[in-house]
Amino acid sequence: MSQPLLQVKDLHTYFNVEGQRAWACAGVSFDVMPGEFLGIVGESGSGKSVTALSIMRLIPDPPGRIDSGEVVFDGRDLLQLPLNEMRRVRGRDIAMIFQEPMTSLNPVLNIGRQVMEAVVLHEKLSREESRNRVIEVLEQVGIPDAGKRLKDYPHQFSGGMRQRVMIAMALICKPRLLIADEPTTALDVTIQAQILELMADLQNQREGSATILITHDLAVVAESCDRVIVMYGGRIQEVASTRDIFQEPLHPYTKGLMGSIPQEDSKGKPLFAIQGNVPAILDFPPGCRFCSRCELVEDRCRSEEPPLVDLGGGRAVRCHLVEKLPSNAEAEEAAP
Amino acid sequence: MAAYFARRFLLLIPTFIGITFVVFSITQFVPGGPIDQMILNMQASATEGGVGGSGSTVEIPPESLAALKEHFNLDKPFFVAYGYWLWDLVQLDLGKSYKYNVPVIEVITSRFPISIYFGLLGFFLAYLICVPLGVLKAIRHGSRLDIASSLIVFAGYSIPGWALGGVLLVLLGGGSFLDWIPLGGFRSEGWEDFSVWHKITDQLHHTILPVMAYMVGSFATLTILMKNSLMENLGQDYVRTAFAKGLSERSVIFGHALRNSLIPICTGLGHAIGLIMAGSYLIEKVFNIQGIGYLGYTSIVDRDYAVVMGILVINTLLVLIGNILSDVLYVLVDPRIRFS
Repeated sequence: MSQPLLQVKDLHTYFNVEGQRAWACAGVSFDVMPGEFLGIVGESGSGKSVTALSIMRLIPDPPGRIDSGEVVFDGRDLLQLPLNEMRRVRGRDIAMIFQEPMTSLNPVLNIGRQVMEAVVLHEKLSREESRNRVIEVLEQVGIPDAGKRLKDYPHQFSGGMRQRVMIAMALICKPRLLIADEPTTALDVTIQAQILELMADLQNQREGSATILITHDLAVVAESCDRVIVMYGGRIQEVASTRDIFQEPLHPYTKGLMGSIPQEDSKGKPLFAIQGNVPAILDFPPGCRFCSRCELVEDRCRSEEPPLVDLGGGRAVRCHLVEKLPSNAEAEEAAP
Repeated sequence: MAAYFARRFLLLIPTFIGITFVVFSITQFVPGGPIDQMILNMQASATEGGVGGSGSTVEIPPESLAALKEHFNLDKPFFVAYGYWLWDLVQLDLGKSYKYNVPVIEVITSRFPISIYFGLLGFFLAYLICVPLGVLKAIRHGSRLDIASSLIVFAGYSIPGWALGGVLLVLLGGGSFLDWIPLGGFRSEGWEDFSVWHKITDQLHHTILPVMAYMVGSFATLTILMKNSLMENLGQDYVRTAFAKGLSERSVIFGHALRNSLIPICTGLGHAIGLIMAGSYLIEKVFNIQGIGYLGYTSIVDRDYAVVMGILVINTLLVLIGNILSDVLYVLVDPRIRFS
C-alpha cells in the first residue's frame, strides 16, 4: 500500500474556557491516503472543525492551542515547522474551504483579486499568467463567463456561486490535500448536490490528491466519501468505509446519527433523535464521552473511557459494548 | 446613483432653509436686539463722557428709532424679515455687521484662515496619529502599549480641551513654571517682518498648544473606533480564509482586514469637514486666538445678528455638504453600497 498523504497522530488541541482547558480535540489519530475522499462526521462541538484547523495551524491563539501530537505531511511534522514554512504549505499543499461562502470572502475585494492571491503568492506567476490561471480555474468550477466576472464582488454572486469561487480559490495552486469544512451546509439542497459533485470531479482530476470533507450531514457523506470518521466529544468514536458505516454502524452514536436520517419507511412515524444535547465543552462526562446520551449505557461506561479498538479491515470503534453490540446486519439475518 | 445624489443636493435646499429660519426667528424674539444694544452703547459712552450724570437715559427720538427698526427690518413680521434676508443671501449678500459696519463676508473671511489652519491641522494630525495608533493597538491588543495608550487617550477624552489648554499654559507659558511656549495669540507681533524660517518656527510655536487642545477630545473616539473596527474584522471568517491561503499576518492585516475596518473611519471624514471650520470659542478664548468660534460667541453677545447668521450659513452648508461627501465616500470604499 502506498504511503499516507497525511498522518495525524495523537493530536491534542485545547481552548481556554473560563480559566480551564477545554479539550476540543483529544488524541485524534488518522491517516489520509492519496486519492482518498475522507469524511469526518459529528454534531456541532464534536471537534471536527478544530481537527481541521489544527492541521492547518489556524487555531486562534489565544484562546486555543495545539498542545501535542503530530501532523505529518510529506514526511514533515507540520506542527514543528517554522511559521514561514507553514505559510508555504497553506494554500499551496493544503487548502481549505469554509462553511459560510458569504463571510469567508472579503466583501470589499473583487473575486479576481481574491482568487489570484494564492497563486501570486506561491507560484510567482506574472499578472497575465495569474489572470489566465484564475479564469481557467473559475471556469473549471463552473462559473459562466468567468473572464467578465473577475471584477465582481462577492455580494454579486449567489450562495452556490460564491462557494464555487471559494473552491476555485482553494484549488488554484492544485493542492494535494483539500479540507472542506461544511462546504455545503449554508446552501440549498440542490446546490449542495452540485457542489459535492464538483468536488468529487475535481478530486478525480487531481491525481493522487485527497479531500477531507467535514460535515454533520450523513447524506453528504453517503454521496461523496470513501471512508468516514465519526467524532464526538473531541475523540474519534468510529472509523469505517462509507459502505460499512451505512450497512452496519457499530457505535451507538453512529447508529443514532443514522437513525436521525428520514427513511422511506419512517414516513408518518416520529423522527428518531439522539436523546439530550451535546454537552458544553467543559461538561463532558468522565468515562465514555457519549455515556450521558447513550441508550445502552452501563456502569463501566461512566467511569472508564473505552479505547479505540481496531476491528481489522479498516474498521475501528470506541465502545465497551462493541462485542455485545448486535450489528444491524446480524439482526436482520436473525429476524424471521 | 447620479439620481440619488441629485436628490440629496436638492434636499439641501429645504434643510438649509429650515435651519436658517429657526435660528433667524430666535434672533427676532430674544430680548435685547441690535437696537437695544446700540442704545446701551450710546448710554455707556454718554455716561463715560460725563454728560447727564448718573442714571441718565439717552432719549432717542421716536422717528429715529423707527428708521433704525426699518433699517434692520425689525418693523416687519419675522417671516417677512426672513424673506428679505434670504433674498439678499440668494444674491450672495450676507448684509453688514451691525457692530463693525463692514460687510459680514469681510468679517468672517478675516477670521476663517485662522480657524481653517487649526481645524485642518488638528484634523490631519488626529487621523495621522489615531489611525496608526488604533491599528497598533488592535494588533497588540492587551499588551502594555495598548493599555498605556488607552489610559492616555481616555484621560484626554475626559479633559475638556480648553481646560487642558489652560493647565498647559500655566505649566509651559512662562508664568510660574516653565517658559517654553508663548502665552497666546496666533502669531508673534511683527510676524510679517520675520525671516521665512523664523515665521515658520514662530507659527509652530504658537500652534502646538492650541492644536493639542483642539485634538485631545477627538483622539479617544477615533483611536478606539479604529482599534475596535480592526479587531472586529480580524475575527471575521474572511481573515481566516486569507490565512488559509498562506498569506503572512502582515498581508492579512493590511491587505484584507484594514480596508474593511477603514470604512467607518473614511465616512467620518465627510462629517468632520463641518467640525473643522466650527472652531471652538473656549479654546480660542484661552489662547487668545481670533478664530471663528470666538467671533461667533462675541457676535451673539453683541447681538450682531448679521454675523451670527453669516457664520450659521457657512457652517450649515459645510455640514450638509459634508454629509453628502460621507455618502460619496461610502460608495467609493465599500463596493456593496450602491444608492438608488
